[in-house]
Amino acid sequence: MSEGNHEGVHRHPAPTGFIRKYIFSLDHKVIGIQYIVLALAAVLVGMIMSLLMRLNLSWPGTSWPILGTLFPGGAPNGVMNPEFYLSLVTMHGTIMVFFVLTTAPQGGFGNYFLPIQIGAEDMAFPLLNMLSFWVTFVGFIVILSAIFLSGAESTVGPIGGWTGYAPLSALGAIAGPGQGMGMNLWIISIAIFCVGSLLGALNFITTLLNMRTKGMSLMRMPLTCWAWFTTAVLALLSFPVLLGGGILLLLDRLAGTSFFIPGGLYVSGVLSGTNPNFPLHTGGSPVVWQHLFWFFGHPEVYIAILPGMGATSHILATFARKPVFGYRAMVFAIFAIGLLGFFVWGHHMFISGMSPYSAIAFSVLTLSIGVPSAVKTFNWLGTLWGGRIRFTTAMLFALGFVSLFVAGGISGLILGQSSLDLAMHDTYIVTGHFHLVMGVASIFGMFSALYFWFPKMFGRFLNESIGKFHFWITFIGVYAIFIPMHIMGIVGMPRRYSQFTEYEFLKGLHPLVVFVSVAAIITILVQFVFYFNVIWSVFKGAKAPDNPWEATTLEWNTSTPPPHDNFAGVLPVVYHGPYEFAVPGAPNDYVMQTDSGVEVTSGNGHNGHRH
Amino acid sequence: MSTEARAGHFPAVDWNGGAFPYRVGHRKLGMWLFIVSDSLTFSALLIGYAYLRASNNWPTPFPFYPSIVFSSVMTFCLLSSSLTMVFGVSASAKGDKAGARKWILATMFFGAAFVVLHLIEWKHLLDEGLRPFFLPEHWAKVFTLADGTPPTALFGATFFAITGLHMFHVATGLIYLAVVAARVKKLKHEDVEISGLYWHFVDLVWMFVFPLIYVLSVDMHGALGH
Amino acid sequence: MTAHAEEHFAGTNKLFVSIWVWLVVLTLIEIFLAYKTMSVNIMLTVLLGLSIIKAALIVAYFMHLKFERLSLIVTIVPMLVVCICLLFVFFPDSFRSSGLRYKFEEAPPVAPAPVEEQ
Repeated sequence: MSEGNHEGVHRHPAPTGFIRKYIFSLDHKVIGIQYIVLALAAVLVGMIMSLLMRLNLSWPGTSWPILGTLFPGGAPNGVMNPEFYLSLVTMHGTIMVFFVLTTAPQGGFGNYFLPIQIGAEDMAFPLLNMLSFWVTFVGFIVILSAIFLSGAESTVGPIGGWTGYAPLSALGAIAGPGQGMGMNLWIISIAIFCVGSLLGALNFITTLLNMRTKGMSLMRMPLTCWAWFTTAVLALLSFPVLLGGGILLLLDRLAGTSFFIPGGLYVSGVLSGTNPNFPLHTGGSPVVWQHLFWFFGHPEVYIAILPGMGATSHILATFARKPVFGYRAMVFAIFAIGLLGFFVWGHHMFISGMSPYSAIAFSVLTLSIGVPSAVKTFNWLGTLWGGRIRFTTAMLFALGFVSLFVAGGISGLILGQSSLDLAMHDTYIVTGHFHLVMGVASIFGMFSALYFWFPKMFGRFLNESIGKFHFWITFIGVYAIFIPMHIMGIVGMPRRYSQFTEYEFLKGLHPLVVFVSVAAIITILVQFVFYFNVIWSVFKGAKAPDNPWEATTLEWNTSTPPPHDNFAGVLPVVYHGPYEFAVPGAPNDYVMQTDSGVEVTSGNGHNGHRH
Repeated sequence: MSTEARAGHFPAVDWNGGAFPYRVGHRKLGMWLFIVSDSLTFSALLIGYAYLRASNNWPTPFPFYPSIVFSSVMTFCLLSSSLTMVFGVSASAKGDKAGARKWILATMFFGAAFVVLHLIEWKHLLDEGLRPFFLPEHWAKVFTLADGTPPTALFGATFFAITGLHMFHVATGLIYLAVVAARVKKLKHEDVEISGLYWHFVDLVWMFVFPLIYVLSVDMHGALGH
Repeated sequence: MTAHAEEHFAGTNKLFVSIWVWLVVLTLIEIFLAYKTMSVNIMLTVLLGLSIIKAALIVAYFMHLKFERLSLIVTIVPMLVVCICLLFVFFPDSFRSSGLRYKFEEAPPVAPAPVEEQ
């Protein structure tokens, strides 16, 4: 056991007592599960909001009595008003992007499996790890409170979209319903979330660099670890800019500054500076907010998708019984996607009036992200080619990830061209694009990871039959929901409109809108089958052995579920790369990373090293 | 042979697991990463300030006394505090815990002097009528351009936001140093070094804030009659 | 960790004091330049250049980065430099919008009566 690896890791006996074991636990495995549970709760809230949005779009003017009771201002007599719809749009986006897509893939599965996959006993900073979860939890409570504390007009929150563009977001209560207390709570929740994410990012980077076990060189790490590492670097560098922008926005709202508020604004008929309700604001620039927000916002969407890519590579290799095709290229592609992700934020701002020369640069760089993405896609296909595929539910979801990423990515190529984006911006083609590539593909990555790692985490399998049912209905359902949106977008249906009934040119699309809503209802319903599967299987699922999938990486080397210090006191030593399947001359069709007896000369050189 | 010493002979081995690739322990690496992220927060604010300044009529009201004098003394205090901190870390490396504590307390003295002077300076400006959301009347008159464009209130907003956030970091640093000084006998040398990194980072940010906010807004021609 | 006590603490007190002297001198130069008339762009370039030198001195000597492994320097410094440079992409919009500011003479002499809140 090397001396270098034990600094900072708690070496006390496992905690006793319910609170220390399950609530305020320092164990990365418990914290990982806490993040996953948080995400499962948040996604439920987000799904209900999306359901309400679809109901409003398809059957406008219908009275939903429960809404009338809970939100009398926003849904008088149960009929949603436009501001209520916009607040649903805002909160759905915020909750899904932050509390589902940024928590579960990284904080959930990353926290649980990064230390085990690199052969460490825990994260580098267990206390910071616990803090980062509870800080995120507080942020979640604050955003939930915004649902009910948004003021007398009782929207479910602010109405400016998850992007919170100024000056709407900066003006305060005068700007509209939900823009008073609701917006303040929104900003505070995001700021708290930034802090939690930064603490987590610190932890991941330090752990991965300093705590790999003997033999676990960087090029022998599973691709999941590479993805978590790159995601953490992106988070470290992008969240501070959001924090800075959020501080300025809060000052605009609470301290009367005008960072983002230009002069000469009329709001509700009042000119700024002529009324005590609306003090004088001049000199600010709404475009600054857009720059600061999207400088964070674009890396954020890669934070959402990269862990899913890592998990997909991992799971495709395991169930195709083949090494990942082009491991090195995959690593460089992950890096390239992360790096380029910092250079392209302007493609969200093509119509903001920014300099067209910047637009050229952003457009070219955006399209160039297609290159590493294509490298990854072809390598996934190469991994599958000629493999003896085992179609478990985890594998199905991983295949679904590849399909959805390609489908969503193609529309990205269209939107990345600034000339085309002038017509497509703020239409449903954007909504279709980002839902396919960020929303659904990411979620499929998480489903895949859960079905794959559930046996290791809980010692029991998720039910495969229910899982396959869940997969097929969801897979068909999400395509049924989001592909029609591309058509709607090309016709010209704008985003974030609560109703389309007044527009002649959109009347013909109404049946398609209803079709999408029906598909959405069915897809949402089947997720409850998934919830049932999870809860039931934790207690009553079929028992799982230590390595049910015959996989190679370190987490399958330890007992199920892993003991408190992951490896029962004996850190593993690594001899091979992570995906040694179908090795000629080996006794099994897989060689575990810790198998010292077998010599492997594969595409990655000798035992995973080039020398 | 310790891991670090062995690593010096075979550099590639550092990256093969079982060692610290940068020869730096967890907490120090974590502090460097935190410093990188916090630098970006300040950069975002400073670049936002630069953006707004470039597109607005910006007043330059700082008189030599008190503003430039005070801010120069503050800069001198912070630089001296960095020096005493380095002496403290050096003493700690030699195992001289009492000496380390002495130098950390000296650092805290200079840091506290910085905060006090800064608050007094804020008070000068607030007394003149500067607020985050408007300028004093006499400034507005003096700095209005020929075409009638008045100077922007963003001057106050950016001033208080950026110097306020910096002051918050200094204050937090003082508390951090107080804890380190109190517990220095129980802490490892590395922990003293890490607190030093944070303190130097605070000084480093001021190296940018001072010229960009103070020096660039000096009242060169005595327009305000100071 | 015994390794840290063995590691010689690079830099003597004399070195640190001389760095401190340089920092003070550069600061005094900045204050002196504050009262010199020159175009804004030159002033900004000079001040930023001086600040970067001062920051580099602090990072290299006081924060000890010069004596750490090269790989750490190569990891931290470029990452930061690239990110900060990216933020400079904002500026074309800033210069363009300076001509678009609200002109107060255009304000109506009397604001219209506030509309009743719905």
